[in-house]
Amino acid sequence: MEEIILKIIIKSLLVIMLIIYGSIAFTMNYRRWRKRRLNLIEETFANVTSFYLYPDPNIEPDLIKIQRTFRKIGIVPSKPRNVQYLIDLMIRTQRSILGENYLKLKTLFTQIPPYGASANKLGSKRWYIKARGIREIYEMNQSQYVKELIGLRNHNNIYVRREAQIGLIVFLGWKSLRFLPYLKRQMTLWQQIKIVEKLNDLYPEPDLFYLRKAYQSEKPYANELIMRIIRKFNIIEDVRYIINFLDNPNFDTRESAIYCISSFFLNEADLSEIKKKFYNISNIEQQLQLLKYIHKISNEIDLVFFKDLLYNGTDIIKLSTADILWNNGYKEEVQEYYYHQYAKQNDGEMVSV
Amino acid sequence: MEFDFSYYIFWTLNYFFLFYGLLLIALYFFAIILSSKSVATNKRKARFLQVNDIVSATDIPSITLIAPAYNEGQTIVENVKSLLALQYPFYELIVVNDGSTDNSLSLLIEKYDLEPFDSTFITQPIPTATVNKIYKSRKLQYKQLTVIDKNNGGKSDANNTGINFASTELVLCTDADCIIEQDSLLKMVRPYLEEAEQEVIACGAAIGIINDSIIKNGVVQELKLPKRLIPMIQVVEYIRAFLLGRMAWSEINGVMLVSGAFGLYARNRLIEVNGFNVHTVGEDLELGIRLRKHMEEIKVPYKMVYLPETLCWTEAPNSIDILVKQRDRWARGLWETMALHKNLFFNKKYKDMGIFYYPYWMFFELGAPIVEFIGLLSLIIFGLMGLINWNVAVLLFICVYLLGCIFSTIAIFIYVKNFKHYDSGKEVVELLLAAYLEPFVYHPVLVYGQIQGYYKKIFSLKSSWGNMKRKGFSSNP
Amino acid sequence: MRKALVIQEDIIILKILERLVLLNHYDCRAIRSINDLNIEDQSENFDIIISDILFEGISPLDFVFQIQEIILHKSLIIVTNMGQKKIQNEVVASNKVDGFFAIPLDMDHIKKLIA
Repeated sequence: MEEIILKIIIKSLLVIMLIIYGSIAFTMNYRRWRKRRLNLIEETFANVTSFYLYPDPNIEPDLIKIQRTFRKIGIVPSKPRNVQYLIDLMIRTQRSILGENYLKLKTLFTQIPPYGASANKLGSKRWYIKARGIREIYEMNQSQYVKELIGLRNHNNIYVRREAQIGLIVFLGWKSLRFLPYLKRQMTLWQQIKIVEKLNDLYPEPDLFYLRKAYQSEKPYANELIMRIIRKFNIIEDVRYIINFLDNPNFDTRESAIYCISSFFLNEADLSEIKKKFYNISNIEQQLQLLKYIHKISNEIDLVFFKDLLYNGTDIIKLSTADILWNNGYKEEVQEYYYHQYAKQNDGEMVSV
Repeated sequence: MEFDFSYYIFWTLNYFFLFYGLLLIALYFFAIILSSKSVATNKRKARFLQVNDIVSATDIPSITLIAPAYNEGQTIVENVKSLLALQYPFYELIVVNDGSTDNSLSLLIEKYDLEPFDSTFITQPIPTATVNKIYKSRKLQYKQLTVIDKNNGGKSDANNTGINFASTELVLCTDADCIIEQDSLLKMVRPYLEEAEQEVIACGAAIGIINDSIIKNGVVQELKLPKRLIPMIQVVEYIRAFLLGRMAWSEINGVMLVSGAFGLYARNRLIEVNGFNVHTVGEDLELGIRLRKHMEEIKVPYKMVYLPETLCWTEAPNSIDILVKQRDRWARGLWETMALHKNLFFNKKYKDMGIFYYPYWMFFELGAPIVEFIGLLSLIIFGLMGLINWNVAVLLFICVYLLGCIFSTIAIFIYVKNFKHYDSGKEVVELLLAAYLEPFVYHPVLVYGQIQGYYKKIFSLKSSWGNMKRKGFSSNP
Repeated sequence: MRKALVIQEDIIILKILERLVLLNHYDCRAIRSINDLNIEDQSENFDIIISDILFEGISPLDFVFQIQEIILHKSLIIVTNMGQKKIQNEVVASNKVDGFFAIPLDMDHIKKLIA
């Protein structure tokens, strides 16, 4: 009985193996063929675009010929994957070009497919299709769908809501920051980076009215985003916003604050504020980063502050402080400290600064 | 009726092996489903965060690459050159010369025009062996390079020195003799850029085997399958381990091991757990477990992730004796780590790690060679006693063998479907043949090496890392 | 006729730059990687090279420092995706480049340099 069962199992396994072999063979051949097809589309697109942007003298680009060229290489409604690849190429190109050529490209791209594919994707249940649709909408400047994007800004899938939020920035600019206090879900670092990038590329003049409205956000990711915006646009008048977060209980928020503040050269009042906050930071590595920054932007060494750290800081802070003082003309103070340490070990006395 | 003790043992063992085997097969099937899902999801996510987007971005995390080096004089200059050529805008390279007795340091000083750097007040959050000197380059094009010369303390100690000296958010620990893909940092940083509710504390990627391939300027010019059978089988083994195993774990946040040859960590978390353990040869697994325990204890949601792509290449043991030494060491490392963290065993405090992941490692990673060894002994003893139905035994063996072949074939299929390596029919056929020969030629050697390692641990026999003589990477075909 | 060499991995940017350069009366050799350089290229003295800095096996700064030894040229313009301020400052500080453009870029700036 066991023998019969085992023989049946063995035969089934052999059949499965054959199916997998067939799948491997098919996959390899299909991939090779598909790669050739995609290379052809990419090369054709590159040629078409370059000749369109820089035609021969006295020759006008022929859009009908361009459309025919694309149809010949398989950019037709019945081949949606080819159409999708072309859309990706168009987006990639548009993101690489600025100036007059950017406007020329926009004109060209309205004349060739994507056959209205992007809006259809918004209705898909699959997150990657939906998110792709949103990306295409804002990259191809289809601003008529901005209401749909507003509805997707709190979607439960992180990629969908990311693309929706980026899309809102593209279409609404600084005004879209008014949604920031009402975002319910986590925003990733990449999202923050893209939002700042899009604002910088498309709306380089900061609109402080809307930015400051967003200050009421309490979520850490919103705070981090605002700090990055302040840093990117060098809004020195709002640098206090960043300073307030230097001793925040959240590690990542402090990390962002220290990173963002390091772009600024501060006045004495702000510098004093930072020195006060220094003592409240619970992470030694972050304190070290801030210490290096304080030293970098100070016109002269604040001996009171540094000596306090030298005598009363943690071991690691003491070493860094000693390093700064030693290399900035205060070798005697460092030697004095170590002499006192040696004496204290012998006498057991407390030493005050 | 007399009670036949041997018959009782025979059937008890039979049911145990049957249960163990069925459970393992079920786990493998789950792994296939999970890893397929994981690979597909990773591919979809990658479309939304491509390397061209990352390479041009500001505000991305800075990374320090730490490369411990011990007596790598033959290849150190070229290796450092290739590590300096990685495509990432914000990274530093720290080469830690771990008390080399050859001319590694002087070669670096000469080639990269290094000068000593004032290290009187260097801070060392993690205690390490004495740091002698720190060097930086006078040349603008090498300003991201730091070379730390220290007393010998082992690979873990060297990594800890690098972690101390790094000032970036992330650190990548690698071996100086590994070849790293040029865009690997751009890909490895993705999980950190996309972390949301769960903090990413470690990220790993697949490691590939590069024996007999053509390397030029530290870059894989032409990837070839190894000519010899032993390393070729390891190609299959690595594909299975990374693509099926690690990706399946990654899908359920069950990764406990990020390979020491290529792992990207959050530096602040490494400092919190005091870096690598210098007292074990399984330092990568031990660190992974310790990091997870730490995050559970401070109650911060976290994950350790794996990328399905091969981003790091290394040379695999070419011969049986070197392979045995390597697996002996891995087995000792596994034993040490399991013993060190035995408090995890079915400990609800550590949630899934205590209830599922650690027990899995105990029963199916640590336990597998022991079960196999006992199985082999049982076969011999009960065969001699005439208790074995050889017809059924042979058919069962064929069944199990075919199942193993199917798992390997599926792994190769997933690899071929998703990645560009080994894309010729000849190479795929060679890989499949290697996979089918593995149980006869390779697996017994593996079990022997592992049992040898356990034997050394049980009887406290001294052993060390050992020295794998490397052929080095050939620039000529 | 003036000679130009364009090296860009992205075929679209490569073709656009190639057209731009051709229309400005250059003989243009357009390749996607430094591995595609042949012996003739290495014996030319190009009037201009428009190149990326991201190549396999060589760091960006190393490339900028060594390019003159690999290919003779009079002028070097960098067009790259990795165009952060930090990278730009380092490359420009080498004093070996005549222009540095991060993608996305306005081709008119390059046109002014090569005219």
